[in-house]
Amino acid sequence: MLGRVIGRLKTVILGTAGTVFLASCASNAPQDTWVPKGPNAQKIDSLQKPVFAVAGIIGLIVAAAVIYSIIKFRDKGQPIPKQSHGNPALEITLTIIPALILAVVGVFTFRTVFDLNKTSDTQMIINVTGQQWWWEYDYPTNNEYGITQPIITSGQLVIPVGTKVLLRETSRDVIHSYWIPALNGKRDAVPGRITLNRIEADEPGIYAGQCTEFCGLSHANMRMEAVALSKEDFAKWVANELKPYEAPAKNTLAKEGETVFLNQCSRCHQVNGLTRADGTPVIAAPDENVWSGAAPNLSHLMSRNTFAGAMFNLVTPECRTDVWKSESATFGAKYLAGVDESCLNQTDLRGWLRNAPAMKPMYANPALLAATGGKYRGMPNLGLSESDIEKLVAYLLTLK
Amino acid sequence: MFTPGSKYLIAITGLSAFSLAMYMLLVHPSALGAVALIGLVAATSLLTGITLFTRDGHATEDQTSAAIVDTPTSSMWPLVGAAGFALVLVGTITTPIVFIFGIVAILATLVEWTVQAWSERSSADVAYNASIRERILNPIEYPVLAAIGVAVIIFSFSRVMLAISKDAGAIIFIVAASAISLVGLLISVRPQLKKGIVQTIAVLAAVGLVGAGIASMGFGLREDLVVAAEEDHYSHQECGAEKSDHFDKGVSETISATSGADATIELVDGKLTAQVQGIEGLQDSITVRRSNPSNIIFRNKDAGEFRLAANLGKKQIADGVMEDVVTCTQLISEGSEQWLTLTINKPAVSGEPYTLSVPGLEGQSIVVVVP
Repeated sequence: MLGRVIGRLKTVILGTAGTVFLASCASNAPQDTWVPKGPNAQKIDSLQKPVFAVAGIIGLIVAAAVIYSIIKFRDKGQPIPKQSHGNPALEITLTIIPALILAVVGVFTFRTVFDLNKTSDTQMIINVTGQQWWWEYDYPTNNEYGITQPIITSGQLVIPVGTKVLLRETSRDVIHSYWIPALNGKRDAVPGRITLNRIEADEPGIYAGQCTEFCGLSHANMRMEAVALSKEDFAKWVANELKPYEAPAKNTLAKEGETVFLNQCSRCHQVNGLTRADGTPVIAAPDENVWSGAAPNLSHLMSRNTFAGAMFNLVTPECRTDVWKSESATFGAKYLAGVDESCLNQTDLRGWLRNAPAMKPMYANPALLAATGGKYRGMPNLGLSESDIEKLVAYLLTLK
Repeated sequence: MFTPGSKYLIAITGLSAFSLAMYMLLVHPSALGAVALIGLVAATSLLTGITLFTRDGHATEDQTSAAIVDTPTSSMWPLVGAAGFALVLVGTITTPIVFIFGIVAILATLVEWTVQAWSERSSADVAYNASIRERILNPIEYPVLAAIGVAVIIFSFSRVMLAISKDAGAIIFIVAASAISLVGLLISVRPQLKKGIVQTIAVLAAVGLVGAGIASMGFGLREDLVVAAEEDHYSHQECGAEKSDHFDKGVSETISATSGADATIELVDGKLTAQVQGIEGLQDSITVRRSNPSNIIFRNKDAGEFRLAANLGKKQIADGVMEDVVTCTQLISEGSEQWLTLTINKPAVSGEPYTLSVPGLEGQSIVVVVP
């Protein structure tokens, strides 16, 4: 009987250990919380590892004691042993030891919390705004980094390495939570409030994240990526973002696409510098069409690697792997190359233009918009023809 | 007593009457649903009356013979019911409140008269019949009458307070509260006080209060309330340097929680400065997110009262007619602060930036950038 129990126990233990071991071998785990890539995440890591070790040891001791007791004192028909009630010395000891452990953990936890909340040495501010289901980043002017005009982008947060960046987070609709595990802990983005979250990356690279506060239908598709560039490369990125709009050449497919964009897309999507035929600037009015009030600014779209709230890659898997896996020294140049026709993920981009709600759940059924006054919670199906899609793709490729 | 059939129908009648009242209050008094529910109430009331009258067909000669020979007492409920029907008719062509009063009167009549009729036929003993009527109806009548009494007192008192000046209102409030306390004290120290005296005091007070309320309604609202309503002082804002008698009166000048601020704008020695959380030093521009409520703190550290105005471009109010879009804080005294929440949906037109400024203070402004 005992032998059978021990045999089953062995199977369970070995099975669990094997599963844990295999899980720890995952090679593609961009949101691994145990691999810090910046000083803020490192602080959390330095706290969580010893705490995890202490908690693990205590857990093992308790589990071993419980298992030992279960096996040793199992019912074998023996008489009930002598009962004792109360052991002050033992009880006080078992109270003081956990209290001391928690006190020590508490001291280091508080110190880490205060360290992570320090903002006095901030070098760069970026406003981060959550919205169902994408993130908007706007960079206020910052002469030290060459940001002479505000920059606005979405999907990918671009930062310089070795720079203390302060994210000022809020939300336009419901509570979201910003979390890039490699760079810092998570911080809620709450409507009407500004929450501060500091990040800093040690090395150039792309760091993945995920909204961690359930925020509606496409919460699971609300992703984000932080792109860390060397300071020189970041300056190039800024220069590109500040570059004036260049209209496509006349009598090209892209020019026709610009017209389609003006008629269909510019109601919600802003492209800075875009003008109508009479020269008047095009100011998008997402507040009139989108429930949360904004739509991604598509200026320099092809300088990003993702679209639709970072749910889809703007580049093909091969090109993306080439950027993601590149060495630090070459990463910046590859990322800054942006998206050209050979690397464009035509399948997903065309699918998105053809019927966006079919690719990402967004409450975009026009028949169900009574509660929002007819406004959409995401991109609707615009009913574009294949010809219009062809033109739009050609136009979007010029937004570099 | 009540037979099973009559209990069932009474419950259906009560439920349908309650549904009717709720429907008319919460949905619409003249909607088709109300008509259907009125029909349901009428039908179930009729069946209930018949069932009660015939005692569900199970009444025996012995049980009813004594009651039948007794003459029913007089009742005011037919009169109330008739008045209720009149109010319902008048209400359908005047205002819903009259209609609702009519329905309430009819429902009260249905309940009261039914129970009264039933109790009078319970036995030949008038006192016993009255007692069982009270056992059933007093738990309903007392709370309802108390609620009506409280509502009348509150309504009458509020009419008085709205008609007289604020100072007179404070005095009357103190006097009334003192009088109530004194009467209460008198009753507590003299428990042997005659019931009639207490009743007389209560009736006189109630009549006086209701009379004062009616008289106050005749006088109307006091002048400043009339003027404020006519001139829409509650939403009107003056964003110039001048002081508005109403908008700037009694302003809140302290902020308890500042964590949601996008920027703090300070007026110091005639100079306007901006501080953004996390950015060292003073700024001459702030960035406000598009289509998102952004909170600005205005802190006046200068001598005198000043307001912060946000100049948010122009909007078209008619063909070829443009109007400045300006919103502002109230006038803030030295050392105080106030929120200004901006929701800007579109970037500024090139060459005409959005700005924050202090009316009356020339050459000082903070640019508001909307990416």
